[in-house]
Amino acid sequence: MITTTGLSKHFQDLEVLKNINLEVAARDIVVVLGPSGSGKSTLLRCLNGLEDISGGSFEVNGIRVGAEDSKRARQQATREIRRQSGMVFQQFNLYPHKTALGNVTEGLMTVKKMPKEQAVTIGRKLLDRVGLTDREDYYPSRLSGGQQQRVAIARSLAMEPAVMLFDEPTSALDPELVGEVLSVMRELAQEGMTMLVVSHEMKFAREVATKVVLMAEGNIIEEAAPQHFFEDPRQERTRKFLRQINEI
Amino acid sequence: MQLVFDNLPFLLKGAGFTLLLTIVSMFFGLIIGLVVAIARLKGNRPIRWLARVYVSIIRGTPLLVQIVIIYYGVVDYGITLGSLTAAYIALSVNAGAYLSETFRGAILSVPKGQLEAAYTTGMTPWQAMRRVVLPQAMRIAIPPMGNTFIGMLKETSLVSVITVSELLRQAQLLIAQYYQYMPFYLAIGVMYWIMSTALSFILERFERRLAKAY
Repeated sequence: MITTTGLSKHFQDLEVLKNINLEVAARDIVVVLGPSGSGKSTLLRCLNGLEDISGGSFEVNGIRVGAEDSKRARQQATREIRRQSGMVFQQFNLYPHKTALGNVTEGLMTVKKMPKEQAVTIGRKLLDRVGLTDREDYYPSRLSGGQQQRVAIARSLAMEPAVMLFDEPTSALDPELVGEVLSVMRELAQEGMTMLVVSHEMKFAREVATKVVLMAEGNIIEEAAPQHFFEDPRQERTRKFLRQINEI
Repeated sequence: MQLVFDNLPFLLKGAGFTLLLTIVSMFFGLIIGLVVAIARLKGNRPIRWLARVYVSIIRGTPLLVQIVIIYYGVVDYGITLGSLTAAYIALSVNAGAYLSETFRGAILSVPKGQLEAAYTTGMTPWQAMRRVVLPQAMRIAIPPMGNTFIGMLKETSLVSVITVSELLRQAQLLIAQYYQYMPFYLAIGVMYWIMSTALSFILERFERRLAKAY
């Protein structure tokens, strides 16, 4: 579903991603861990065209973007990729001038040109799915962080993505609100959604992921099934990372 | 005082023109301002440059000079404008430059994450601008827009020099007839004040209603 081949990214002289080769198969739940500044968010943003790549290439659902492609070709491929993938942000980025329902239906009406009644039907179904049936008329400012993030997930799902990218979806949440977002993500995983998740939620990685990846200093250090990753990591860097996590 | 009351219809007609000039120029100014703001932010290099030069010239020269140039200056090129038309053009073009700066700032103040969210749902840059950024930018732009609006109401007095029969011009005509300065100038002063106060009251209510929306 997602393949990156020798993908690299630098901001001026700062190398953020170095030769990243990552494979996410259909129905995979890949959780990317790593200290801050390791490049994991940048990787996700590259895969959705929010950052240009500097070298290598990647493919999402069969659409390829290479660093050597012309700007125009890249733009075109990016637009197609965005239509087939959803993204959830750390800061939710809900549209503050739209209600919960309006946030979900906006893409359906603007991008898919769907008539309003049909979009509203789908929107209500999605809000129901993330447990917010009774909040459709609320503006984001009146929703809790957890509720906002669930609306954001519904907004992404509305576009029927083949793959979902999560960029630290629970990092901006108060601790007691993390659970409600994770449980929506769990359900999504059970339904067979392909997901690439940048996160610090160890429990989620352990229980839901099909593959866990550790990134540090712009490299992939280790990737393994969760039980191997957590019980028997091969790399010293991974052991160090896990020790640091457990000390907290 | 009696003189003012006797000629009140004449002055009110001027006040009507002042309001008309303000509203029409503001309307076209808003359109120009929005287009220029987007041109400066999203246009290619020559378009950005053109928009910058326009804003720079308009903001760097007195409105009075702009009015006179548009009314008398273009005659040399075989274009004769009615005084009212020239007034509309000069005021709209002037307001447009100031409003474009207001809009540019407001558009830039919408968080980047909003655009990213719109893009990731598959919106084109234009759709994201229209559906996500502009509605939020407009709300931010309302208070400074109100200032421009009230400023415009007062600056319309400058088109009296090209004989548009707005409030100041009507007063000057009466003064020329009666050789009495203070009653008429005081009267129009009061009329300008009433109009600006009413306008700011309306704008304030509009602002409050928009603020309540989310």
